[in-house]
Amino acid sequence: MTTLNGSDAASGVAPLGIGGVATTETTGRPTGEKVLLEVRNLVQEFQIRNFGGVKGGVLQAVSNVSFEMRAGETLGVVGETGSGKSTLARSVIQAPPPKSGQVLFEGVDLVKLGRRQVAPLRRHLQMVFQDPYGSLDPKWRVNDIVAEPLVAYKDGDRAQRRARVAELLELVGLDPNIHGRRRPGQLSGGQAQRVAIARAIALNPQLVICDEAVSSLDVLVQAQVLNLFEKLRGELGLSYLFIAHDLALVKQVSDRVMVMYLGKLCEVGPSEAIYREPLHPYTLALLRSIPDPDPEVDQVNMREVISGELPSPIHPPSGCRFRTRCPRAQERCITEVPELQMLRKDHLVACHFPLPSSAEVAPGGGAPTAPAWTPGMTQGVER
Amino acid sequence: MAALPSEAATPSVPIAAAVMAEEPARSRRGWVHSLDLYIPAGVLVLLLLACFVWPLVYKLPPPVGGSILDASLPLGSPGHILGTDSVGNDIMSRLLYGGRVSFEVMFAVQGIGLVVGGFIGVAAASFSGLAEATVMRVLDVLIAFPAIVIALAIVDGLGAGEADIIWALAVVSIPTFARVARSGAVRVRDQTFVVAARLSGSKRWRTNLRHVLPNILPQLITFAVLGAAIVVILEATISFFGYGIPPPGPSWGNMIAAGQQVMSNEPALLLVPSIVLLVTVVALNTLSEALRARWGVVR
Repeated sequence: MTTLNGSDAASGVAPLGIGGVATTETTGRPTGEKVLLEVRNLVQEFQIRNFGGVKGGVLQAVSNVSFEMRAGETLGVVGETGSGKSTLARSVIQAPPPKSGQVLFEGVDLVKLGRRQVAPLRRHLQMVFQDPYGSLDPKWRVNDIVAEPLVAYKDGDRAQRRARVAELLELVGLDPNIHGRRRPGQLSGGQAQRVAIARAIALNPQLVICDEAVSSLDVLVQAQVLNLFEKLRGELGLSYLFIAHDLALVKQVSDRVMVMYLGKLCEVGPSEAIYREPLHPYTLALLRSIPDPDPEVDQVNMREVISGELPSPIHPPSGCRFRTRCPRAQERCITEVPELQMLRKDHLVACHFPLPSSAEVAPGGGAPTAPAWTPGMTQGVER
Repeated sequence: MAALPSEAATPSVPIAAAVMAEEPARSRRGWVHSLDLYIPAGVLVLLLLACFVWPLVYKLPPPVGGSILDASLPLGSPGHILGTDSVGNDIMSRLLYGGRVSFEVMFAVQGIGLVVGGFIGVAAASFSGLAEATVMRVLDVLIAFPAIVIALAIVDGLGAGEADIIWALAVVSIPTFARVARSGAVRVRDQTFVVAARLSGSKRWRTNLRHVLPNILPQLITFAVLGAAIVVILEATISFFGYGIPPPGPSWGNMIAAGQQVMSNEPALLLVPSIVLLVTVVALNTLSEALRARWGVVR
């Protein structure tokens, strides 16, 4: 069930926190909610090496991203391939560590800690990967795979571990007697992903990062796995950082959504608000690209689809990175990098010319002829 | 129910095919397709049994200390099925005891290479960076030398004897294993399940042992079998040059050397050990090919 953060703080531009991030004090959210993860100015770059080891350019995968997550919420991260969302996830878990920035997990900066000190904290921060088979050792049995975190952290003796593994497998909907002794090659995609989930929750983490965890599954299996995520959230009190490229999927699952483009955050806000009132042109384009059963709606959508290709992350456009494909781009977008600003309650946008709400008419070019978003355009099942 | 024309035309194997489709791919093709594995394996097992077990069961004439009165008996002589050499030793018995030397050296060298070389390779891959590059370059230097040159040089220094041959050939074998192990480990270390294992809290050595190693083992074993053939030839070469088992101790290599000297008079002395050596090497190569065909594509 999607929840808006219930607080009646005034909407409109609010004073900004550190690095443009709206912190608990500025957004007026109930201060009882604990900030689980805070990411500040995260930068991840990769050195391109040409043949012979010669250094090429620098691939800027994540550029100065800041956000925070509260305990118990599901934060969705959406973007095209190449937007840096998977890299963001890997940087949060320090595999590999980011070039600069801070990752404050329960107040502890993971980036500053060395590898040895991060290890004991990893039990609270786990990850489910995209390829269900790739994340499981093909030569291990399911029981051993799920028990691995328990063995690594020396949790209990062998009998206790076995009992815990059986409990975990049942929790994710597998039969310990039937599936426990199998190898990943003998499981279906959905079953393999359930095993990965069981392994991820073995140590009772607080945050589970789902890196496109359902993207490679069939639609029906996707729904089952998403239901499993929801069930685990309720039973175990997990928080999720849910990364996907499917916007409709993310809406189903998330409380808040972050939209990324070419390594930068475009828009952050409650999922309902993002869908009903997208403020960033890129978000609108993503919403429009969701196919709709009604062909007329599709035609209307297609008129406004963005053109062009993703620019190279080695040489991203100056100023706003989306300007090369944005119908609303102007002079200012070339020279000035837009910062995240809070335009609505709890809803931040990094754009010089954010979209007007559907009630207003935009002056100048690029005004859409159809309403920004209507509930009829929602894909998938309403919760 | 009337059968459709297309149904009448299909052969009646659908049920069997459906059953067979359920089974893992390995057994679908029957034993004929596994012959490429079983024949060389069978030959090698026979050779091993002959060399190690047969002399325990059947009383053979001693390989050394034969009476000069029995010298140079031809093939098929009573009591000496393959004849005797120029000092009266039974060739069959020399062949089998010499085979023991060859196989012992083969197992020992490949065993050491597998363990030590495998360890070095996997460790290098997991450390990566400058350490890995340095180690691999050092190993490259060793690999660049012709194996026989290094082996002979070492044996020359250490002296003759089975153990010395083993050490010498191990020095040659370890770098090659390290290179194979490292390339396999590099391929495996970037796979998601290794990252996931590290994320689950497993330390680096544990991940290497339980995840990386089992996934490169098929390649290592295939390579080990292939290298075994080379080791057998190297051992024979070393003995041929006189650096190996000191006479009158039997070894295929020094039997070939002795046989070469009397080649025109008694070709059997040369041909018998040569043919046995050939069979062994071909069996090992074929076995290695069969293993590669089975395990070649590792996920």
